[in-house]
Amino acid sequence: MANRVQVPSRNSALIAMIADEDTITGFLLAGVGNVDLRRKTNYLIVDSKTTVKQIEDTFKEFTTREDIAIVLISQYVANMIRFLVDSYNKPVPAILEIPSKDHPYDPTHDSVLSRVKYLFSAESVASERR
Amino acid sequence: MGEEEEKRSSENGVESKEEEQDEQENNVLRFLDSLDSYLVLMDSLSSTLRQGWMELASARHSMGASRINSALFDLKHHNAATSLEVNHHDADTTMQQTCFTLCKWASPDTQNLCSKEAKLEEGELLQRKASSPQIRHRGASRSSASEEVQEKRPQPYGPPVTVDDQVQKERSKSLSVFGALVSPKLRGAQLSFETALETLVEIANIRSSILRAHDQVQEGMKTTM
Repeated sequence: MANRVQVPSRNSALIAMIADEDTITGFLLAGVGNVDLRRKTNYLIVDSKTTVKQIEDTFKEFTTREDIAIVLISQYVANMIRFLVDSYNKPVPAILEIPSKDHPYDPTHDSVLSRVKYLFSAESVASERR
Repeated sequence: MGEEEEKRSSENGVESKEEEQDEQENNVLRFLDSLDSYLVLMDSLSSTLRQGWMELASARHSMGASRINSALFDLKHHNAATSLEVNHHDADTTMQQTCFTLCKWASPDTQNLCSKEAKLEEGELLQRKASSPQIRHRGASRSSASEEVQEKRPQPYGPPVTVDDQVQKERSKSLSVFGALVSPKLRGAQLSFETALETLVEIANIRSSILRAHDQVQEGMKTTM
């Protein structure tokens, strides 16, 4: 009985984005763009003029909004606010680090993989067993 | 009698230990499997996005940089045409797994035509799916063989408004931000980014199972210590 799958909640949610202009343009073409009544968008275009503070604030806003289920963030942008991304551990919204045009995906920086990678280190597992 | 009981309880203990070990091994396998899928999907996402950027650059080259620009984005109030459905699966009382489902091209006004169907996208399959409730209704008292024949027969009252039509409508609406006549490359970019979105939703689900499997492995390690 404990293994029975229950579906207590079922609701529609948005995909938010923090990325470069071309990535945002592409995903807007795919229909994920949303502008609410207060003209707030579900994306932030990061360019050379965008400050780290702006990125931080947007990340905090997206991760606290209840209507957002996934936050897509370019990995190079995530690297700018790594301390925030790595300390985030809620299941929803899920943070996904995506590659960008000039910065290919690097698994060593991915927050999900760095959260679980210690299991691959024999020493750390052994020390936990001790 | 006492000896027999002792023997039985020690056998039970060994069995439960073996079961625990099996479960732990299963969890580790599930964890590694999820990690592998995550990396494979990330690789596929990278190549899909690369293709999308390439097509976008080609479209910009043929249409001009001023026509594909973030200044043209629609900043008036509108709802996302593509959204997600979030389900929480309680496979265990302590660990919850989140499951994301993509709802493509299903803005609130066209919600009834949503989109798990739109996911399939193959025109023929879509048409059949969209019309199947009708066929089932009309042929309810007939045999399954006659139902099959009925299904192959064309609709007598012209083509119905299918999910496919609706999807095309929504797609062109999204493209119209950049003008009425757009480069086919831009349409190509749109499809690539749609594929990327599908991959991303898969990645989000795999991410969720990685974290769940990780928690289970950790839990198992604590109990075996």
